[in-house]
Amino acid sequence: MLFNSIDFAVFLPLVFIAYWFLTQHSLTDQNGLIVISSYIFYGWWDWRFLVLILFSTGVDYFVGRQLGRESVPLRRKALLWMSILANLGLFFFFKYSQFFIDNFVEAFRLFGNKLETSSLEIILPVGISFYTFQTLSYTIDVYRKKLEPTRDFIAFSAFVSFFPQLVAGPIERASNLLPQFHRKRTFEYTKAVDGMRQILWGLFKKMVIADNCAETANYIFEHSDQLGGSTLALGALFFAFQIYGDFSGYSDIAIGTSRLFGFDLKQNFAFPYFSRDIAEFWRRWHISLSTWFRDYLYIPLGGSREGRLISVRNTFIIFLVSGFWHGDNWTFILWGALHAIFFLPLLLLGKNRKNLDSIAHQKSIPGFGEFLGILSTFALVVLAWIFFRAENLGHAIQYFQGLFSSSLFSIPVFEGKGVALVTMILVLFLILIEWKGRSAKHGLEQLGLNWPRALRWSFYSMIVFLISLFMVTEETPFIYFQF
Amino acid sequence: MRNFILNLLKFSLLTALLYLLFLFLSGQFLPALFRPNLVYKKGAYGHSFSRLQEMDSLRECDLLFLGSSHCYRGFDPRIFERYGYSSFNLGSSSQSPKQTRILLQKYLKQVRPKKVIYEVYPMTFCIDGVEASIDLISNSETDKYAFDLFYEVPHVKTLNTYLYTSMRQVLGMDRNFSEPHDKPGDHYVPGGYVEHDLATFEGTEVPRQQWHFKREQFAAFGQIVRDLKEKNIELILVYAPISKELYQSYSNQQAFDQGIRSCGTYWNFNEIMSLDDHKHFYDDDHLNQQGVTLFNEKLIELLNHPSTQP
Repeated sequence: MLFNSIDFAVFLPLVFIAYWFLTQHSLTDQNGLIVISSYIFYGWWDWRFLVLILFSTGVDYFVGRQLGRESVPLRRKALLWMSILANLGLFFFFKYSQFFIDNFVEAFRLFGNKLETSSLEIILPVGISFYTFQTLSYTIDVYRKKLEPTRDFIAFSAFVSFFPQLVAGPIERASNLLPQFHRKRTFEYTKAVDGMRQILWGLFKKMVIADNCAETANYIFEHSDQLGGSTLALGALFFAFQIYGDFSGYSDIAIGTSRLFGFDLKQNFAFPYFSRDIAEFWRRWHISLSTWFRDYLYIPLGGSREGRLISVRNTFIIFLVSGFWHGDNWTFILWGALHAIFFLPLLLLGKNRKNLDSIAHQKSIPGFGEFLGILSTFALVVLAWIFFRAENLGHAIQYFQGLFSSSLFSIPVFEGKGVALVTMILVLFLILIEWKGRSAKHGLEQLGLNWPRALRWSFYSMIVFLISLFMVTEETPFIYFQF
Repeated sequence: MRNFILNLLKFSLLTALLYLLFLFLSGQFLPALFRPNLVYKKGAYGHSFSRLQEMDSLRECDLLFLGSSHCYRGFDPRIFERYGYSSFNLGSSSQSPKQTRILLQKYLKQVRPKKVIYEVYPMTFCIDGVEASIDLISNSETDKYAFDLFYEVPHVKTLNTYLYTSMRQVLGMDRNFSEPHDKPGDHYVPGGYVEHDLATFEGTEVPRQQWHFKREQFAAFGQIVRDLKEKNIELILVYAPISKELYQSYSNQQAFDQGIRSCGTYWNFNEIMSLDDHKHFYDDDHLNQQGVTLFNEKLIELLNHPSTQP
């Protein structure tokens, strides 16, 4: 079920009403309803893959319980590895089997041997990259004794399958989300209203910004061999806003929906395109994934405490793994590598934790230095997105060749310039709203809170109207579903 | 919770009112590029406004034609008149079975035709019908049937067109609207037909393709067949000629023919006649006047001499 679908528009109010009117007196009922709703939500795509969620839930619940009882370190480690192998085994099988086979065959071919294989045609279960990492965080935290294992199977099932963030995150930590399933939720007006605001803003980002940017970006990327450098630059720019609108829009809807049910999820995007350097960008982009890799990969590898060389190695590992997490294509790995290269100078100069304060603090516009930082960081990010969006390495190289040609300084020429112009105006509206709300948790959290209610509500109504006027009418799935 | 629901209702009401206001202002002042989901086509191509106006005052006819642009550009009432048939062409752009069904509901009682000739073009079974509904809503009175045109094709574009058209009509903004019979390349002929100027067609290459039918359009089509049967009105299903190049590009024509033939009298004129792509068409889809004459005369021959029917 897509957030931007009629199905979800019916599903959400029904679950909301059942949750607050039928199950409000019992924690087990509340959690039970969440499990049932989440399974319906997920099964809407393909009910067969519910088995995987059940398997993951069962394994980690069992391992968690055993870890709670076990005190022998070797046995505890064995249990941990059992969970890691079970979860990552499925994850790798579904996500990377074809990639490894293809590359194996290709490597054989390079050495003059021909290997006949047939395609496995494995369907990637939606959300596997998200719930696998979420459940792993539980087992690892229990193993590290940072979290008590839960005895409540329904609460744990609800934690694993919680429908707002099941298929595209945020990847919640067990230490943040699971305890919320152990407490009965009571309805909070301000939380629910803010949730509605966040959903509205998320829908705008997805249905207006991402989907409209996609039309221009897709056209330019698909015809990149026929277009000039300036048009290709525009294509990359549109893709940058497409992926931001798509993914941060999804996160906003997920977090907003959770708030309607009394849950607090962690912020997943903190206005990353206003970052002043790449390190800050990674503190603001897909926060739940980058912090996951930081806590469960980077730090166990030694982090930055064991000398500069180890630190550089670890940085490369975390970026490469992060790239590979996105999919079975070398383009994602190169995207990660490119970010590692961008990050490296900051790390070596010890400036990777320079911009920790808020952007243009207590000012309405950034200073010249900040502005240059934002602009150059954004340019680097946009360049890296070319690898992310390209179909394959050849396409990416061809795109870069076209981009850095003499036509880079010509006037862009392509079909649909008018639509692109309108989209650009909408993007400027997005930037304006997000800039105003950059200190908050989402674009609309603080905006207009001091205005008279009629004016504030009219502003929200205008956003509803803008969605209706500019939404792309074909139902478009979220990009991150494919990861 | 009570406050939340109450405020949600108040907000919904305010949003509904402001939505209408914003929609009206957008329709009035924004160029089409800046309002992609508000399409208002009063008096646009296809002469739907003139056709529906004329249809509203029609009381009887022998033959009622329905279908897509192949219909209103393919059945010339003047030719049928010469052979003693009074007729009216109620075709409209991209008209799919969903719209045809509503048009029949609206006009069948009023006109009581002896025969309904329904031009069935496979493409109209493959589309959602949004464009056709927008065209008809924009050009007709906002009555129950206009609402049905939106309701049958629930889409943000049909909703916006319905609301905007309703507001314009309530405010009397289209009271003096009139549509010129002559538009670049097209001439409206009383009786619903649109005659096109261009005489010949150079031809284009069409790649191999397939129809991808929509189940709901076949459901609407089945309803049309049943409704007419109940009312004892003869239904003749006609696949109007398209260029050979286009016709032969589709690999699943036969499946379509079989499906339609099982519903009643069905004449596929792409199989019955052999027309010349260059001489008898003005584009891949549409006949020129010479082609229309040949096609209509062949159809009349089949109507007059049932024994010669294929």
